Amino acid sequence: MTLLIQDEYPKKLLRDDGLRLDGRGLTDLRPIKMEVNVIKNADGSAYIEWGNNKIFASVYGPREVHPHHLAKPDKGILRVFYRMATYSVFERKRPAPGRREKEISMIISECLEPVLFLELYPGTSFEIFIEVIDADGGTRCASTTVAALALADAGIPMRSLVTSCAVGKVDGQLITDLSGIEDKAGDSDMPCAITWFNNEISLLQFDGKMNQEEMTKSLDMLKDALEKIYHMQLDALKSKYIQIQEGIQQ
Amino acid sequence: MMDIKRVISTIEKNYITNNLKKGERIDGRGLWDYRPFCIKTDTISSAEGSADVTLGDTRIITGVKYDIGEPFPDLPNEGVCTIMAELLPLASPLFERGPPDEESIELARVVDRGIRHADCVQTQKLCIKEEKAVYILFVDMYVINHGGNMIDCGGVSALAALISSRIPKGEWVDEVPRWTGKYLNGKELINELPLAITFGKIDDIIFLDPSLPEELVSDGRITLSVTEKEITSIQKSGIATFTIEEIKMLGEKALEIAKNLREELNIWQYVKNST
Repeated sequence: MTLLIQDEYPKKLLRDDGLRLDGRGLTDLRPIKMEVNVIKNADGSAYIEWGNNKIFASVYGPREVHPHHLAKPDKGILRVFYRMATYSVFERKRPAPGRREKEISMIISECLEPVLFLELYPGTSFEIFIEVIDADGGTRCASTTVAALALADAGIPMRSLVTSCAVGKVDGQLITDLSGIEDKAGDSDMPCAITWFNNEISLLQFDGKMNQEEMTKSLDMLKDALEKIYHMQLDALKSKYIQIQEGIQQ
Repeated sequence: MMDIKRVISTIEKNYITNNLKKGERIDGRGLWDYRPFCIKTDTISSAEGSADVTLGDTRIITGVKYDIGEPFPDLPNEGVCTIMAELLPLASPLFERGPPDEESIELARVVDRGIRHADCVQTQKLCIKEEKAVYILFVDMYVINHGGNMIDCGGVSALAALISSRIPKGEWVDEVPRWTGKYLNGKELINELPLAITFGKIDDIIFLDPSLPEELVSDGRITLSVTEKEITSIQKSGIATFTIEEIKMLGEKALEIAKNLREELNIWQYVKNST
């Protein structure tokens, strides 16, 4: 594409006062806002604003499998479709899904499956559609977090919620929750997700370089961030019922 | 509200039809009333222009992106504006995954034709250097929830996204396009405001802005795109048939409804500054 303004990255990602370019401290999260039940037609849905990321997720199921040959006689199947809108990125994305979107769909699906009781739904499918309408780094983490909320909103039995966040390294310093610039121009990036019923990591990717000590420290930083986001998820789910309750009282 | 199914039961169809015959609708509107519109612009930070528009339960988020390319040989000093629609499977169980189907192509084309045949997008302002460099605008509509009448909602969404756009302004220096540091805004890009006005038809009853249950039981619909004085495109779809008198009546009705809607929405308020 030919654009008049170029997408340039600064040489330094940490300011002289030690803060990050957007003014955050090393372990601060970007502002996060979550809401459930935002798409009326869906069985369950959720919306998340995580920094500049804006993502919708909706869940349909259990329903008939289409195409039929994918159905399994002994359990249900979970399918995730992570897609980005053409206008969600700096250079317009082509409308057809690319390799990146298909890979992310798969890892999110594998990350969420352990919390579902698919064995109780033989011959059916659960479908999660994720649409990123604005992207600024960390969309797979935000998508996993919002997809778990949409599943809970749909009333599908779950062992627990799933929460996701990234840790990484820029200018030699470990940081939590990488923004778009930090992701592209930084040294390393490690998106993770946790399934709370067993406190285990269910999504893990890593790109870049880190030594053993840094890896240990960043995993500790991750734990703190995930706890914070988990409580926001719970609040978002509860607020739906608080709203219903207030509606009845009036 | 009834469930969304491909096949509607006779009893539900009769309920909707009998009410319409009495001039009543299941959501309490009159025959010639729109559901409420709600417009938010500038919602997508990565896009050059964006609008999040709801019409009742229907919600469409549109973004504008640009590219610079060579003009068509027969129009050497005009830019291009393309309109695309995605019916996301997240928006309704009736939408399926995969390449654009007939319904999404119809939505994009009807909105596109309404805009193209009006004096709306100023394609000559989208030229940086004759025969060398023009803007290609991509107006992409994403349906987030399908509550019926996507065309009228999409039309307003596309227009609001274009009007709230800020496209980097280019000049031709040393055989390449360069940014001047300023922007093209909605005032420069847009002139007339065409609105798509859609009517549904069940038996011989015609009504404005079909909601999803009405759309599912109706025989068809007709969309008229109108500017202040003229009709710029018409699309009849579905198996409904219209008499000549009905079409004449709808042309008049559409102009009148669009005039009121244009005043009510006041889309020009979303223009952004050019510096």
